[in-house]
Amino acid sequence: MAEAKDYIIGIDTGGTFTDVVVMSPSGEVWTAKASTTPDEFSRGVMDALTEASRVLDVDRADLLKQAVLFKHGSTVATNALITRTGVKVGFITTRGFEDTTEIMRAIGRVDGLSEEEIRHATWVTKPDPLVPRERVLGVRERIDYRGEVVVPLSRQDVMDAIRKLVDEEGCEAIAVSLLHAWANSKHEDDVRALAREADPSNKVFWSFGSELAQVAGEYARANTAIINSFLGPTVDRYLGGLQTKLEEGGLEGPFLIMQGNGGVAHRAHATPVSNLQSGPAGGAIASAYVAGLLGHPNVITADMGGTSFDVGLITEGYWRYAAEPIVERFRMLQPIIDIQSIGAGGGTIARVDEETGRLLVGPQSAGASPGPVCYDSGGEEVTVTDCDLVLGIIDPEYFLGGRKSLNKEKAEKAVEEKIAKPLGLSNVEAAAGVYDIVNSKMSDLIRQQVVRTGHLPEEFVIYAFGGAGPVHAGGFSAELGINQIYIFPTSPVFSAFGVASADVIHTRVITCQYIFPAQPEGPNERLDTIEKELGEAMTGEGFKADQVEYRRFFTMRYRRQTAGVEIPLPWDRMTDERLQELQQMFETKYEELYGVGAGYTKAGIEISAIRVDAVGLVTKPELKPQPVEKGDGSQAVKGKRNVYFTRPERGFIETPVYDNALLKAGNEVAGPAILELPFTTIPVPPGARVTVDRYLNLVMEI
Amino acid sequence: MEPTAVDPIRYEMYFHRLWAIGEEGRMTLQRVTASPIVAQGGECMSSFYDAKGVMVLACSGHLRFAAATSQAIKNMMEYFQESPGFYDGDQFFFNDPYVAGSHTYDMMVIKPIFHGGELIAWTATSTHTADTGGVLRGGALEVFHEGICISGLKIVEKGEFREDVFRTLTGMCRDPQYVGLDMKAMIAGNNVCADRYLGLVEKFGADFVEAAGRRMIEDSEAKARAKLRSLPDGTWVSREYVTTLDRKSRKAVAQQLYCTMTKKGDELEFDLEGTSPQTDTDHNSTFPSTAAHITLALTNALFWDVPWSDGKMRPVTLKVPEGSILNCTFPAACGAAPRVGNVLVSTICECVSKMLYAAGRADDVNASTTGNLAYAGGPGYFYGGHTRDGIRVAQGLYDIHGAGMGGAPLRDGVNTGGHMNIPSAGISDIERIEMQYPFLYFTRGHNPDGSGFGKYRGGLGSYRLYWIYGSQDCSVDYKPYGGVAQGGYGLCGGYPTGKSVLRYMVDAGMELLDRVKDGEYPDGAGMRDGTWGRVVHPDGVPERVALPEGSLLIDYVAGGGGFGDPLERDPALVLRDFGRGWLTAKIGEEVYGVVLSDDGRSVDTAATQSLRERARAERKQLGAPPSGKTSALDPGQAAEYDSVLRFHASLEIARRDGQHAIRCVHCGHLYCGPEENYKNYALRRIVDLNDYMEDALPSGEPYIGEYHEYSCPGCRVQLQVDLFCPAMGGDPILWDTRIDV
Repeated sequence: MAEAKDYIIGIDTGGTFTDVVVMSPSGEVWTAKASTTPDEFSRGVMDALTEASRVLDVDRADLLKQAVLFKHGSTVATNALITRTGVKVGFITTRGFEDTTEIMRAIGRVDGLSEEEIRHATWVTKPDPLVPRERVLGVRERIDYRGEVVVPLSRQDVMDAIRKLVDEEGCEAIAVSLLHAWANSKHEDDVRALAREADPSNKVFWSFGSELAQVAGEYARANTAIINSFLGPTVDRYLGGLQTKLEEGGLEGPFLIMQGNGGVAHRAHATPVSNLQSGPAGGAIASAYVAGLLGHPNVITADMGGTSFDVGLITEGYWRYAAEPIVERFRMLQPIIDIQSIGAGGGTIARVDEETGRLLVGPQSAGASPGPVCYDSGGEEVTVTDCDLVLGIIDPEYFLGGRKSLNKEKAEKAVEEKIAKPLGLSNVEAAAGVYDIVNSKMSDLIRQQVVRTGHLPEEFVIYAFGGAGPVHAGGFSAELGINQIYIFPTSPVFSAFGVASADVIHTRVITCQYIFPAQPEGPNERLDTIEKELGEAMTGEGFKADQVEYRRFFTMRYRRQTAGVEIPLPWDRMTDERLQELQQMFETKYEELYGVGAGYTKAGIEISAIRVDAVGLVTKPELKPQPVEKGDGSQAVKGKRNVYFTRPERGFIETPVYDNALLKAGNEVAGPAILELPFTTIPVPPGARVTVDRYLNLVMEI
Repeated sequence: MEPTAVDPIRYEMYFHRLWAIGEEGRMTLQRVTASPIVAQGGECMSSFYDAKGVMVLACSGHLRFAAATSQAIKNMMEYFQESPGFYDGDQFFFNDPYVAGSHTYDMMVIKPIFHGGELIAWTATSTHTADTGGVLRGGALEVFHEGICISGLKIVEKGEFREDVFRTLTGMCRDPQYVGLDMKAMIAGNNVCADRYLGLVEKFGADFVEAAGRRMIEDSEAKARAKLRSLPDGTWVSREYVTTLDRKSRKAVAQQLYCTMTKKGDELEFDLEGTSPQTDTDHNSTFPSTAAHITLALTNALFWDVPWSDGKMRPVTLKVPEGSILNCTFPAACGAAPRVGNVLVSTICECVSKMLYAAGRADDVNASTTGNLAYAGGPGYFYGGHTRDGIRVAQGLYDIHGAGMGGAPLRDGVNTGGHMNIPSAGISDIERIEMQYPFLYFTRGHNPDGSGFGKYRGGLGSYRLYWIYGSQDCSVDYKPYGGVAQGGYGLCGGYPTGKSVLRYMVDAGMELLDRVKDGEYPDGAGMRDGTWGRVVHPDGVPERVALPEGSLLIDYVAGGGGFGDPLERDPALVLRDFGRGWLTAKIGEEVYGVVLSDDGRSVDTAATQSLRERARAERKQLGAPPSGKTSALDPGQAAEYDSVLRFHASLEIARRDGQHAIRCVHCGHLYCGPEENYKNYALRRIVDLNDYMEDALPSGEPYIGEYHEYSCPGCRVQLQVDLFCPAMGGDPILWDTRIDV
């Protein structure tokens, strides 16, 4: 689709910065950033574009005019959900089930909380629902699990509900989710028709559960519809306003929106709820893209910032979706990239338990304010960052590229008083202990994530992100038996990079039940239907049939199990033989996951869900490799300092400090070494080394 | 005693890793199981034990199991050391409730872990499995009727799966696939735990692992003792009731659970003397079940921040009278032990909550999470029969995990918050239930007026209305209507229960389909007044009843107890609950003294104020101090006392010239010294439950208890609502709090 001069622009609006990545098909990449402007997010986007045009030395209008694809991920949806600043929503559901979103399957009391929080049973409460009970109205109707109508829809109830919600309550948006609409959407379709009658000018924003998810599970589906309506007008206003600005500014090419499923879609085809988590999705795509480039089938992405440690996986080149992702304590049915989080970051607090003398690290965090002791902003609790500083890993004068100076003396004093003395350890032993413990905990979380997929950590490489990720990556990787860590100098703009390289993806997941021995006709008909729908969506996105790639997955399980195993289909349609082979594939995969003998064929086997991703591949630039130069990188040494290493032996070593900006492709730096980047620091233990690859990525081998 | 010395840094790494391994085991288990109670209800557990069977760490899951397995291991070591012996790769199936667990449905698979030929540890995985064979739930008279009961049988021998054992065990059950998948799930969970445990031994060394295990137990004990030391010394007493079927009269009969909790220094004792004798139904708890439930109550309410090892129970002593409903004698049936256990948890938590309040730990104080009048009666939730697909089942349907949590000192209880026994419990989506089971739900909602009233009301429980649809073979356990609150407590003047709907069935028949097509829609009121058919209450209260297709049932799950005087509830919250359909205007007026405007959209402030004044005055008119006087002291001196310890939202211990007294924190009314029960001097009003409840029991039987409402003679604030069952005897004036000054 693209011509040689065409730019691809990716913009990611994060909490602090709005990042832009501009790529040319010949592999050139330019990056720029501007401050995020929460009062009017689109201003930050335009500012970032202005910055980018400066970097490219072109007119902003020309840059936009030459953009063949403009892709945008933003935190607007996530932010509106976190701050609960969506619009006033009404919810219409089946009569008798008006409390569903308050009951939250009871599990809503703990959804999205950590194990430590959950244990304080007398204290844990549910989040306030987005739609208060007063604005939930039931209508008479009922469809059974087979999709057959038991109680016909009462048109009168629907019209009354609309009148009450719109005229009396003043709702700007309405969500509709009826029982078993996943099996038969007739009643929701009827409500839609009535809504058009009642609201011909379409001033109310409508969402329908059956349109957003064809999966059984009324609680999460209702949440999905409600969140879509809650965010809809806000997201629409934002994107509409931005699109106008961009088009006025010269954009002629398509305006694509980043979705939580890891793909982009035209604004008209991207639902507001799919905007959620687009930032992390951008990071995952970038990782998958780089993984393809570097030939890594299995990658762990580990992002350690100030308060949390987020882990994602790429297996066989592809990211995974969470079954019922929980966003801001609400369980949903949306294909959202599965990223797990624990409270372990630079701000995580270390303390000695009074009664047992245990050295506890986390889950409490000092956050950004007051922050670690060394920030000198009133923090009194020892944090991981304080310990990194005491160990000499971080330079107090070059934290975040020198943007913040740290008070090392204060940190040392706090470590001594609060940790070292009570445990009878030296200061550095105490700090090194905290360093090791936090690394060990992170490796535990990573392992949990990996084994859930039926893999072992040794099959993976680690991509380390965030300010604290590279600081600790050597530590947690060693615990996992992983000896290759990748750190990307471009990682601060990785999300934007991912947005820029994202394909167009539309995903459908449906609940079904095909019991073995199954006939191929059933699943094939469902695949036909799904692919017809997806094909239409992709046509709307401007793709011809032969430009669309379909990825098909069956979720299989022993009968009556609740969870299932997702099997990627190597075929486009089923035959009798393939079904037999599929059963074999399932049982093999199952034993891989749960051990030999765990399978139980006699319980019966069924296909319980079908997922299809329609992928429209868009032009991606080939990253341009740099000429490789041998060398030990000594040209980049800017000084020396004492650094405490815990591997292979514990102790201080006088360590050369490298300025990463001066390293060249092909350079090999042997440990002990410290590499400083503007956003992070990499300690290279003795015996390990870092190679700068031809894309200027840093590869640490330990 | 000096704690075992371990490197603090390696210890911390080890601790977290062991926990992570247990979580890995549990995740495996939950994915392999067929059981929604395990996969979604979370009724399972992975845990580790030292070589002697002492629990080192249990991971999240059903707390009952955290306490239950040690004894199973110790017992197996006693009986099976010689024959058949323990070998590397063995795994044992176990479900004997007289040794460990609560009833035969609590199944575990236990695996010894060997290193260098030596048995160094044990791992165990437990699930609550809904089928054991035997008679269907409710009908057992002896434990022999309750299906397979195994005190240790190798299901995996030296790494070889024993098909013969597996077939024998599952073959004795109605639903062998379901039970089989649970067994496979437990084996898979153990494999993960054992393999990874050996990885730890390799990494840290066997000596370190052994020492760290010991230290983990010591640390838990140290934490538990420190927690106890931070609380005031004293004695707390609670009394709660349950009912079961009297097989001779075929009517409900009540039992009482009586608990005296004494806390001194860093020790805690529970003496359950005064508890009723065991029954000849399955409504009994073995000692292991009782110990497990006390442990889980303490884990939730008191030791939530103490790591889960056996060490945390070392400061705790249990005295349980033999032959009582809490320590039944073999071979009494005990299938309903978890129900007795739930009431026991409530009985324990009532004492603990009052102690925690006196320590100023408001975040840790909750009224009861379970307890509703007539909860026991009518159709239960243990289905039997065939599913739509023709599979024979003996399955529970666990909407019961949608209970309301207790009211707290500063907020209402959490509505449908889950189940206190299982921190991450949930209930299934109706769509998922209907795909498997022959039900069609017409409602699942919050239970109006159903939770304990109070300044902060209990969390609302849920109720459901459903119709048997798609099976010609379905039955359910059935209980007589007990007519007394089952294990609820309020705090500081809040009520133990609300005025709940009842559980019953109606023979609506298949013609319901035509009626709903014509626009009618079943609801609770219509079921009660006969609109949807005759209320069925089978003669003679059989243990199980058939549910013919077309039966319409209503049942509910308990709400939480209330906290504080309902007359102090913010009227805006009463208005809100009314607007949401969670409270009727009648209760709003009668209990909360709040009058709403005619359109129900605002509070009539003036009318509310005067109604509340009248209600307070009524406490004086209708109530009287049991001792005949309102104070044992000179009330004129109230102002001369200095506050020492507030042990109740409205009461404190105060001191004057070295003399202590109980005083009202609001009006300063002086009751008596702390060595006496303040209730003797409070205004007491006795309300018969037959007057309290709105609806008669479907069986026509009377309610059998009273609420004793105590309020302050000075300011009339309600202090305490006690449930008393005169037929069960005992002192009607319960001396619930006695703090050592």
